[in-house]
Amino acid sequence: MVNEQFDRTVTTTCGYCGVGCRLEANVRGGRIVSVAPALDGPANEGHTCLKGRFAHQFTRSRDRLTSPLVRENGELRPASWEEALSRVVSELSRIKAEHGPDAIAGLASSRATNEDCYAMARLIRAAIGTNNIDNCSRVCHSPTSFALRKSFGLSGATGSFSDIDQADAAILIGVNPTQGHPVVGARIKQAALRGCKLITIDPRRIELADYGVLHLANRPGTNAAVALGLAHVVRRDGLTDETFIAERTEGYDAVQELLDAYTPQAVEEITGIAAADLERAAHIYGEAGSASILWGLGVTEHKYGSEVVQLLCNLAMMTGKVGKAGSALLPLRGQNNVQGSSDMGALPDTYTAYRRVDHEETARSFEEAWGVPLSRKVGYKIPEMFDAAIAGELKAMYIFGEDVAQTDPDTAHVVAALENLEFMVCQEIFENETTKYADVVLPASAFLEKSGTFINAERRFQLVEAAIDPPGGARTDLDIIMTVSRMLGHEMGWQSPWDTLDEISRLTPQYRGVSKERIGRSGAQWPMHPDGSDSPTLYDTVFDNPTGKGQFAALPYKAPGDAPDQQFPLVLVTGRVLQHYNAGTMTRRTYNAELVDRDWLEIHPDDAARLWISDGDKVSIRSRVGHTELSAKVTDRIEPGHVFTTFHFPETRTNLLIGQSADVNTSCPEYKVVAVDVRPIGEQPAFTPVLETVS
Amino acid sequence: MLKAAVEDHGEVTDEDRKHAAEVSGVPEAAVYGISTFYDDLLVRRGTRHVRVCTGTACFAATGGAHVDAICEGLGLAPGERRADGSVSLAHTVCLGFCHSSPAVRDGDLIDAGPDAPARAITGSCAEAAEPEWVSLLAEPVLTRPGDWSGLRRALTELGPEALLAEVEAATVRGRGGAGFPAGTKWKFTRAAKGDEKFIVANGDEGDPGSYIDKYLMEQNPALVLEGLALAGFAVGAKHGFVLTRSEYPRSKPVLEAAVEQARADGLLGDDILGSGFDFDITIVEGAGSYVVGEETALLACLQGLRGTVSARPPFPAERGVFGCPTVVNNTETLANMPFIALHGAHAYAELSPDSESNGSKLVCFNERFARPTVYEVPFGMSMRALCEEVAGGLRDGRSIKAVQIGGPLGGILPASKLDTAFDFDALAAEGCMVGHGSICAFDDHTDIRALTVHLLEFGADESCGKCFPCRIGLRRAHDMFAVDAPVNRERFEQLLETLELGSLCAHGSGMPAPLRSLLAHFPDEMGLA
Amino acid sequence: MISVTVDGTELQVADGATILTAAKQAGRWVPTLCFDERQAPFGACRVCMVAVEGAPKPLPACTTPCRDGMVISTDDPVSRRVAVAVVELVLSELPAAPAPHTELAQVAGRLAVTGEPRWPGAVHQVKHDFRHPYLAFQHELCISCGRCVRACDEVQGAFALTATGRGFGANVTAGLDSGFEESTCVSCGACADTCPTDAITEITLLDGVERSEANGQRAI
Repeated sequence: MVNEQFDRTVTTTCGYCGVGCRLEANVRGGRIVSVAPALDGPANEGHTCLKGRFAHQFTRSRDRLTSPLVRENGELRPASWEEALSRVVSELSRIKAEHGPDAIAGLASSRATNEDCYAMARLIRAAIGTNNIDNCSRVCHSPTSFALRKSFGLSGATGSFSDIDQADAAILIGVNPTQGHPVVGARIKQAALRGCKLITIDPRRIELADYGVLHLANRPGTNAAVALGLAHVVRRDGLTDETFIAERTEGYDAVQELLDAYTPQAVEEITGIAAADLERAAHIYGEAGSASILWGLGVTEHKYGSEVVQLLCNLAMMTGKVGKAGSALLPLRGQNNVQGSSDMGALPDTYTAYRRVDHEETARSFEEAWGVPLSRKVGYKIPEMFDAAIAGELKAMYIFGEDVAQTDPDTAHVVAALENLEFMVCQEIFENETTKYADVVLPASAFLEKSGTFINAERRFQLVEAAIDPPGGARTDLDIIMTVSRMLGHEMGWQSPWDTLDEISRLTPQYRGVSKERIGRSGAQWPMHPDGSDSPTLYDTVFDNPTGKGQFAALPYKAPGDAPDQQFPLVLVTGRVLQHYNAGTMTRRTYNAELVDRDWLEIHPDDAARLWISDGDKVSIRSRVGHTELSAKVTDRIEPGHVFTTFHFPETRTNLLIGQSADVNTSCPEYKVVAVDVRPIGEQPAFTPVLETVS
Repeated sequence: MLKAAVEDHGEVTDEDRKHAAEVSGVPEAAVYGISTFYDDLLVRRGTRHVRVCTGTACFAATGGAHVDAICEGLGLAPGERRADGSVSLAHTVCLGFCHSSPAVRDGDLIDAGPDAPARAITGSCAEAAEPEWVSLLAEPVLTRPGDWSGLRRALTELGPEALLAEVEAATVRGRGGAGFPAGTKWKFTRAAKGDEKFIVANGDEGDPGSYIDKYLMEQNPALVLEGLALAGFAVGAKHGFVLTRSEYPRSKPVLEAAVEQARADGLLGDDILGSGFDFDITIVEGAGSYVVGEETALLACLQGLRGTVSARPPFPAERGVFGCPTVVNNTETLANMPFIALHGAHAYAELSPDSESNGSKLVCFNERFARPTVYEVPFGMSMRALCEEVAGGLRDGRSIKAVQIGGPLGGILPASKLDTAFDFDALAAEGCMVGHGSICAFDDHTDIRALTVHLLEFGADESCGKCFPCRIGLRRAHDMFAVDAPVNRERFEQLLETLELGSLCAHGSGMPAPLRSLLAHFPDEMGLA
Repeated sequence: MISVTVDGTELQVADGATILTAAKQAGRWVPTLCFDERQAPFGACRVCMVAVEGAPKPLPACTTPCRDGMVISTDDPVSRRVAVAVVELVLSELPAAPAPHTELAQVAGRLAVTGEPRWPGAVHQVKHDFRHPYLAFQHELCISCGRCVRACDEVQGAFALTATGRGFGANVTAGLDSGFEESTCVSCGACADTCPTDAITEITLLDGVERSEANGQRAI
């Protein structure tokens, strides 16, 4: 349908969340006038949410960085590209010469394209000479990646979103899709309305709980006990698929021994979930013809998050509910390209497709392709980068597209680290909390202004095509990275992002054949096969590891890193709302900010009453490491003893409260269990209320 | 809940809507939509709420003058409430007192007769009397009090399949207006997939001029309930509903009392008469809408939603109440079933020996006639015999100009055609229908153009609003005649064609029938260009 | 699979497929207004009428299932006559002509509905709701096709919209007629996306309602 209102329409992929809606961006006079969902989008099928559809005005916000900035006399001032880039190159070269390449680290943006992230990894590895590169999946789904690789072999969802439509039952644990992945949330809701039996497991009564058949409100940090309890009942009541266990898995015996202790009564003690409800949930899942498990950061952002994912994999293997239509394990990845940034090897220990940096064959193939020797030493993860910076071992950071000072845990620690660096360059679209500490700021491009590919939570490569140009003097991220690399002496030689994609495809057997043409309008889900076909469902006959068998993991429940006590009697869980995305960098600069203009602290009426807090009051919230202030919202969708807030507004500085507790395997921060104290501001009760601790 | 709110404080407020949404789980927006659909929920009521009937029989009686009189007398336009909240006025269609038009309702009191409007103005209404109904059959069938003997025989001797076979063989054409064979409907529903099935009795007799179902429900409720139970037995349903009208305030309480009695006698409930058959009945009252007489709209109304029509297929036999297979039968149709269960299909056909149509039919006459009431008649009598011999011709020396048979969507038969037989085929040949069986006479003083406007006003007001031809077309058709100007016949007929061929349900597609009758028989009196 | 014939071409369609699906498969145009492939068919507009051999009246393509051996004619003159009349009626209830890019304008153009409407009369009351930062509701342009309500129910699941009133006064509104923000709306825009007349549309696309694009400042 020709629309006289627009000059042209460009089909691209949304840059907000991991659903990866395909969008039609309508352009007039060089600006985005409106965005509509693509009817043939495989993940969204003609639908999208208010961020994808409406929140695009940030691209032309007055705040956009349109010129490079360099710090002089403590202040950032505009500079030419020549000056800014020379400063970057000379400082990085100097530090490399004086302290060695491992004194430099890079952070790739999970919102940027695969090509951008790959280029960044190549810059750090080939031009600088270190493996100190990481991306923000570290702070969200790195536990998922670790666990899925351990249990099944590949770091990605085992199926596709379409499995939701075919599932007779589904478990949603630690995820709130109607807020964080709205289009998938809508899909789940419609499936539930059509009869899919939904079980929601979350300390809060999420919206989908109203559409499900059972809601289990467990204490924060007890997911492992829930998973073990479900497995116990599945085994006890004969809901296992013995054939599947025998033929397709290894390690079940160790698990069996472990499960004895996790009776419904024992699990009730730990989690607060009624034994009868646990049993019912296990039966709904076990008896369903097909059932899927979906999880999010409520599972991963915990001290034992990676173990919980392994336990969920156990549950699927015990019942044979993996590798079939309707029975998928779907981690709902947050960022639009968090899957891709990790797939592209922007990680300290792996190249593309998770092949280790110390694996000779892999390293050699990249050395050949890039023409330089490459380090075999595993680099720093993000938390280690901050520790090293404080210790004086890390001297420089090149951060692109991540506002660590707002989103990483223990803000005080992060700030101290950044202040201690000798040199920091930020490649960004807006000034933010992190650029306050930068020596050079390079103005980069948003998703509507660049071309390349994203990979969504279904492992699907999808095309990104620029609808408008970056504003003013801003340039595309790929362009900037290539230029910096060239000036450092390493020429990447690409004419366009499609050349980058071709290189990625050539050097990565699992992505072989991926190209702009192959991806087309419907995308391609890795791994790719020699005959050109892609992989909507994984593991239908064999798992991806040396024995081809799924690996059970016998992991007992362990308490979270933080626990409430007399001083900090409440447990804080942090998360998102629909209208904003993470740091709110983009969404706060759209009219979404009119719809939701602040972070709220959700508190249960009983707790609010005891603390003399009324709806709308400003409250002070303190943890072991920091404190901040918020407006309170009294609601009974949360359990007594817990509070919940978001982190979309920098003024709130929510992450000041989060400590150092992190996943034992992947260092993913424990954003979801923080002991806090909350009290109204300006209204001190006559005595300090002592709440019963949540045991 | 919304109706209760109106009873309590005279109107539906946003608080009421929010409360209803919270309790029922229906989304707030949907509750708002429901509250703007039904007549009973739309008008802000005063302490005294007066509803004046604007039905066809009342129109035939006064030409509409009674409405003007009340408006003037109370100083209110319909839909208004006096500033001091003492009185409010609304239209209503139809109160079922067509034998004594015009009718007025004050609260739940229904008064009728030439002085009823005056009494409504002064607040001195008295409950009007209802004439006894009469059967012309040697052995009355529908007017004979139901005694559950049909159900007893079905349970003990026939069994569900045999009962169904008898009903099919009897070719009971639906008495609600569509004339669709009830047995076929039952057969489809019985065969449909589903563990739970329902029977719904359509007691929403919205046709102005018709009070047949009113008599059945209020004077012979047991017969209706028995028919429902028989349907349930034949089809495999365990629960039935009767949807009554809020314009007939007595129907629900009377039916509920009959249900109580039946339960006490072991004729409803679990294991009826020790047969293993469970069946129970719930009575539900509507909220003021004509179109909910259409079966899919009826089911929507039954479930508390907006009474809009749904596309068919799927038919209720496949997907009805709560998505389950449902039989929707008119009240009178169901009332025919006990006789068939007791005496069989052949005896049923014998009730109308002079006609292809089987069984007996209840007909009712409007106030213009000398002896207006409900009569049970066999098919095949001539219209003339019915009008002149049975109902005694018109009163006060008036003569019949035309009669509308079967309801507002029924064709209009001019006096010259009164020799047409009263049965399905004969009437259809004249562009008329048996419909629901009301016989509404327009006397020689009737203004045909005013009648045209009256019919179209009813049609436009009662349109559910979903389909475009009816929603817009009926309004346009009304407006063409309501203004004081000649009407372009060709344009009007094009509109009628669009309505007939395009409408989603019989409301829109049926409206052309009486208008075509008027065009055919009284073209010079319609004010055409 | 069953076999049907559409305008002379025989083709195989899935069991239970509607006539509209078959027509699309055969590449034949059937005009629609209340149909959206993302929602279940509704059957309200009555513009998709087609002729089926053996059927006494035209049938609506979107809600009529195919039967094996059905012979369908999409450009049958009687069906088209009805479609044209319906579109004329719809245009006549709007206070202004629909913008050229809207589906209604496109369908009207393709059906060659032009000139003075045969049945002019009352039009919808003008009522604008521009309270929401993104979604604009111009109630007078609503033709009660129900697509927005169904998008909100069947696609998004927010249940924020409802049909209101009855007959000619029928319309659509959000929540308790309180505007999008006060309702359960999640601002997904599916309603604006599907609306064939721009009764609900993106406010940035309306002339005369200026939006400043910086930092969420509304300028009207």
